[in-house]
Amino acid sequence: MRLALAAVLLTTATACVTINIYFPAAAAEKAADRIIEEVWQLQESSRPAAEASDAAEGESKQ
Amino acid sequence: MNIKRWIAVLLLAFSSALAAQGNLEIDSPAIAALKGAMQQRHARLAPLYAAGAVGQAADGTIALRDASSVPLAQRGQVNSLIAAENADRLALYREIARANDHPEWEADVRRTFAQRWIDRAQPGWWVQRGGSWVRK
Amino acid sequence: MLVAARDPAGRAFARGRRPRGGSVRCFHFLVLLLLIASPPASAFGPMRLSVERVSHPALEVRDLRFEYEPDEGRARLEIAALRLAGQRWSRLRLDCPQARMSLQALECRGGRLRADGRPLPFRLELTLDTAGRRGQLVIADGAGGRVVARLATDGSLRAKLSRLSLQSLASWLPALADWQAEGHFDGEAEWLDRGGAERIRVRGTLTGGGFSSADGLRAGEALGVELELDAHTRSGGWDWSASLGWHEGASFWDPFYLEAGPVLEASGRLRGDRLEVRQANVTLDGVERLAASASVDLARAHVDEAALSLAGADLARVGPRFLAPLLSPARADQLRFAGSVSAGLRLVDGTLVELDAVFVEAGFSLAAPGGGVAFGPLSGHLPWRAGEATRARLQIEGGRWGKLALGAFDLEVALAGTGAHVERARVPLLDGAVVLEGLALRREEAGWSGSGSAFVEPLSMPLVSEALGLPAMTGTLSASLPGLRLRPGEIVLDGALVVSVFDGYLRASGLRVREPFGVGAYLSADVVARHLDLAQLTDTFSFGSISGFIDADVLGLELAHWRPQAFDARIVSSEGRYRKRISQRAVQNISALGGAGAMAALQRSLLGLFETFGYRELGLRCVLRGAVCEMSGIEDGDLADGGFRIIRGGGVPALDVIGYNRRVDWKELVDRLQRVLAENVSPVVR
Repeated sequence: MRLALAAVLLTTATACVTINIYFPAAAAEKAADRIIEEVWQLQESSRPAAEASDAAEGESKQ
Repeated sequence: MNIKRWIAVLLLAFSSALAAQGNLEIDSPAIAALKGAMQQRHARLAPLYAAGAVGQAADGTIALRDASSVPLAQRGQVNSLIAAENADRLALYREIARANDHPEWEADVRRTFAQRWIDRAQPGWWVQRGGSWVRK
Repeated sequence: MLVAARDPAGRAFARGRRPRGGSVRCFHFLVLLLLIASPPASAFGPMRLSVERVSHPALEVRDLRFEYEPDEGRARLEIAALRLAGQRWSRLRLDCPQARMSLQALECRGGRLRADGRPLPFRLELTLDTAGRRGQLVIADGAGGRVVARLATDGSLRAKLSRLSLQSLASWLPALADWQAEGHFDGEAEWLDRGGAERIRVRGTLTGGGFSSADGLRAGEALGVELELDAHTRSGGWDWSASLGWHEGASFWDPFYLEAGPVLEASGRLRGDRLEVRQANVTLDGVERLAASASVDLARAHVDEAALSLAGADLARVGPRFLAPLLSPARADQLRFAGSVSAGLRLVDGTLVELDAVFVEAGFSLAAPGGGVAFGPLSGHLPWRAGEATRARLQIEGGRWGKLALGAFDLEVALAGTGAHVERARVPLLDGAVVLEGLALRREEAGWSGSGSAFVEPLSMPLVSEALGLPAMTGTLSASLPGLRLRPGEIVLDGALVVSVFDGYLRASGLRVREPFGVGAYLSADVVARHLDLAQLTDTFSFGSISGFIDADVLGLELAHWRPQAFDARIVSSEGRYRKRISQRAVQNISALGGAGAMAALQRSLLGLFETFGYRELGLRCVLRGAVCEMSGIEDGDLADGGFRIIRGGGVPALDVIGYNRRVDWKELVDRLQRVLAENVSPVVR
């Protein structure tokens, strides 16, 4: 148990140091994508809306 | 029993820090509120993106590119819409940096978002690349 | 016969009548006319004229060639490059398929113009009686547009313009082409030359006018404009006066949207490339008087100096149109204005150097969820100078912040550059005041930032609770926030806000307001309460009756729009010896919070027969994260069956309240609490 506690402390401590120095670019990109999908409603759930806009675009091209 | 609880507490306390390596915290109430507002506004912005009136700028904001397709009387409202969206976007970058306890990341978050808005922009939308507007 | 004139100084004109710079600037076609009207000799044979270069501040001609073939009756004028009044053309060519030249007369019929190899949509007819100095020039654009210019013996030139299309003109005037100009111009122009004193008069109407910059940020549509211009030469320049009445259409001039109505009257002087607007008066709806003056360098299209004075502007009418788009485009439709303002401002090289604004009973408000902010009526003088410190003195007669009404106060602000400094401002609020001290603000690109201190002089809680629509509470609220810091998107209030209430106190520290004006607005704080009298507390919120005292900690409290989003709250019985009783109703209410099942169980029990119960301690903890409240009870009060003790009984009759639901939906809990507080009926005990 004590060993586990020490291990947890150790990993968290090193994690903190890493984070302080580097910006987690990959994680940020993932987070950005998640937010962008929600804001622009690019997810599966809003597929009909996307199709509707596609249709509208098709119309406007004619 | 007691030690187990301690570990649990510690894990809880550091879970956000640990998570930061794999994921960025984006679930704060402020972020949710901003997301909600932006999502609502998107319904009005999407036609402007598609018409090329408004484009995704290189700095993580949106910008008026060509207002000609917007009726004259509504051009002022388009300006308001852009200003409101940009205020929210900048607040969002700030909030994400704050939610992860690294306010100094704001510029990095903004840069990352700027790139992703442009990458994820739909075909037909205009994005700013190398200082000039490009249609996707 | 060949005549060649090569003179870089432009003496080519010296042989004929030499047009003055000003007239050349105003009538482009006049140059052509006079060039042709200057036959170098009384020759009837073939004629060739070439000029390599003519230079003049207002005019530059390169490689001019003129040919006349009398046998074929053709004439041709070519100019490789022409600069006139800031406009440039290249490869200009005028072909006259039917030309006639003699000592007395000059004629060009069916003349066609080309620029850059492209034919221009104009047909030109010229007849000139050189001896009588009379003539006529007709330019038709093929779409019904005509310019008929007549040169009279007295040297005057009168032109009638009818249905002149700006669109076809645009093919000829590069400056117009950039603006996608359209519409038709009807009117008259005249040029008089009386003994060297020239005079130009233009009057006309533009109908169906429109223009647009490439990005559409400056555009007009369906414009109807009446125009009058009168200019005469005086000591090497032109004195002019003009009026412009805008009767129809609309225009967007980023960020302003304007509609027809304004009338402009202006006068000034033009000399070389310098245009002076001495006095311009604009009649504008909602403004008593608007006057401007300016000095413009036409060559650089640059406003060197400008001044504007505004008197008696009705803010309710002018504000939404001109101020809201400037002050807060994102919330333009939420800004409201009242009262009036007069202002003067001066710009040098396009930068503001002086601003004076005088407000009379002006009011500003910003609507926002939760009530918004309002100031006014506000009166006073706000001066600002570039590179100089000034002081603004404003009297604010009232205001509102959310639901709180602000009293009258004076505000003195020291202004310097982009900074503002308030030594002290005392804003009356209810029976106390909010005092700001040493507040220094700077306007930066990203927004305002600064620091200072804020204090709240004691406000009585009965008034505060009334103003906020809360149940009446006794006590006072005060605050000492010496570390007030403002950054774009954040207000930090280091210090503490203390409410003495319910015989104890409540202390909020670590106050931070983020995105105060955005949708993501939220407030975070740590709240610590000590020794609150439960009897008063439960009575105030009609929660039955509990006697005793509690301590409460609400750490990491985050409110979005005043609604809790996250906290770690703990309530425990205060230390010490005091009476601890809880009423049947309070027990019921607490149980009701736990769900209907608990309630029923209680009602069925024998304990339901008693009015009050004794208790030893109570404790409740709720950690709110992600809309779920993680509940627990008294420390070390957990039961083996998974329940947690909220109240530990003591005395006679004793009663334990035990919770079983550890994860409670926060919204559900608030709904239940509101229901409990709303049901102001006596409990029914069966």
